[in-house]
Amino acid sequence: MSGVPSGRPSPLAGQGAKVAKRPQFSARLSAFILLAPALLLCAVFIFIPAVLAIAGSFFTFGITSRAWDPAGLSNYAKAFADPIFWTALKNNMIIVLGSITFQIGIGTILAAILDRGLPRSATMFRTIIFAPMVVSAVAVALIWQVILDPNVGAMNAIIKAIGLSPPQLGWLGDPTISIWVVLMIACWQYTGFMMVLILAGLQGIPKELYEAAALDGARGLKAFRHITLPSIRNVLLVAVLITTIGGFKVFDLIYATTQGGPANATQVLGTYIYLQAFNLGNMGYADAISVVLLSIAVLLGWLQLKSSRRA
Amino acid sequence: MPNFTRAKVLMYGFVSLWSLFVMLPLLWMVLASFKTKRELFMDPLGLPGSWTFDAYERAWGVGMGRFMVNSVIVTGASVAVITVVSGMAAYVLARSDSRWLRLVYLLIVAGFAVPVQAVLVPLYQMISGAGMLNSMAAIVLPYAAYGIPFTTVLFYAFFLDFPKELEEAARLDGCSRIRTLFRVILPLSGPAVASSAIFQSVFIWNEFVLALLMLNNPGTKTLPVGIIALGGEFTSDWPAIMAGLSIAILPILLIFVLAQKYFVRSLAGLGK
Repeated sequence: MSGVPSGRPSPLAGQGAKVAKRPQFSARLSAFILLAPALLLCAVFIFIPAVLAIAGSFFTFGITSRAWDPAGLSNYAKAFADPIFWTALKNNMIIVLGSITFQIGIGTILAAILDRGLPRSATMFRTIIFAPMVVSAVAVALIWQVILDPNVGAMNAIIKAIGLSPPQLGWLGDPTISIWVVLMIACWQYTGFMMVLILAGLQGIPKELYEAAALDGARGLKAFRHITLPSIRNVLLVAVLITTIGGFKVFDLIYATTQGGPANATQVLGTYIYLQAFNLGNMGYADAISVVLLSIAVLLGWLQLKSSRRA
Repeated sequence: MPNFTRAKVLMYGFVSLWSLFVMLPLLWMVLASFKTKRELFMDPLGLPGSWTFDAYERAWGVGMGRFMVNSVIVTGASVAVITVVSGMAAYVLARSDSRWLRLVYLLIVAGFAVPVQAVLVPLYQMISGAGMLNSMAAIVLPYAAYGIPFTTVLFYAFFLDFPKELEEAARLDGCSRIRTLFRVILPLSGPAVASSAIFQSVFIWNEFVLALLMLNNPGTKTLPVGIIALGGEFTSDWPAIMAGLSIAILPILLIFVLAQKYFVRSLAGLGK
């Protein structure tokens, strides 16, 4: 950024201002032409809607109503007094913390095994375990919905076959366990992604480090703790941030399995915004919840930017 | 070395168990799609009595073919727009020392933090206000916009390392900046373009919430919104639902297995 282009001798130096000025103007024009589409698209579909969502959170209005009635902070007051809003936020936290624990935990173990233990069959296992990542979350949700169905699903058949009794209200119908079942489906889909992310980090560790450690008597789990984990700290941090952001943005999986039910037990911010806006028509209230989600996402995005700069 | 082999067995066991956990639901989906409703109800775990494609015919009748074509069009168009538009922006930003353009870069990066779920209300009102609901543009333009920040950052990093000599040679031959970009730089940026295109394709192919909001017409629905209607279309016809899901999923899985190296490399790049 500190480069001063005019400081270096230009081939055009001393040829008169007329010649030197024209290319500069056309350079500016071409820079503008090249930047304009990106800026326009981002402005129209990202920044203006974000500003409108913040503005809308201070009004009351319906899906088709042209009139916005000023509401002050009442939408926010309503959210903080709304138990479903808190359930949704709590469920997002469950998904975030659960995903960090299980997806990154299991992903790290799988990656370490494939990197050090089974390098020859690594590609085959990596392909299988990563595969659900390319399937749409809606399809994943529907498959699991049928698997977990009390009448035709494989899950209950297996549970009964080994002599246990499945939950009376169904896996997704019992409000005390449904959010955990959704978490399990998310792990099924995304653990492979975390594994691949971490595997890429592991493959960057120089082999000499392990050789040196082996000479000092550190192998296996000991080497994992003292060499592997410290070397992939940055990758793990990125994985935690990606998982956290993903956990707050979750929508498809819940919409397609439970629609936030039973009795709002699996509601998350994304589905609750959708419910309030497009099923109940409380657009201003939906905007207020959106601003909460937006603030969390911007904070996390800023952390991600900072951590990736350091890496 | 008994200790060594026991560790090996444990490691194989753990990885194999997780692989089974991943594969069994998909395998069961395919099996269930060949069963009759009665067979599935009587014995959820058994093999189908006869291998018929009846359920596939019922599912295909809902318009799976149309959904798939729509998804291909939407994904192709969005990824093309993202690649060209981000390539142009990243090129200017990577070749400039201007403080203003540094700010523009940060602004575009900031777009990465805004989740689409947080702007559903204004986006819906803008697009329905413009009379664009149920059109491909209603979905391609926002997809393009949300893909631009990440792709611009990726191209920016790539262009910084791009050999300046090639570019200067093109400029000396009289190529304008725009021509240089499209004739010299983008064609030589294969790895970055492929990596970002795969990454964006996976996300756009599977995108759900915007498509759900903007596309209600069966003629314009993409696959994720199309398959969610399967449940309503076939109440308790589980084999047809599983057949529809198989039609939607198996081609993608096949493409993934054939090109897994590129998929994995592209998505793992997110960690850098």
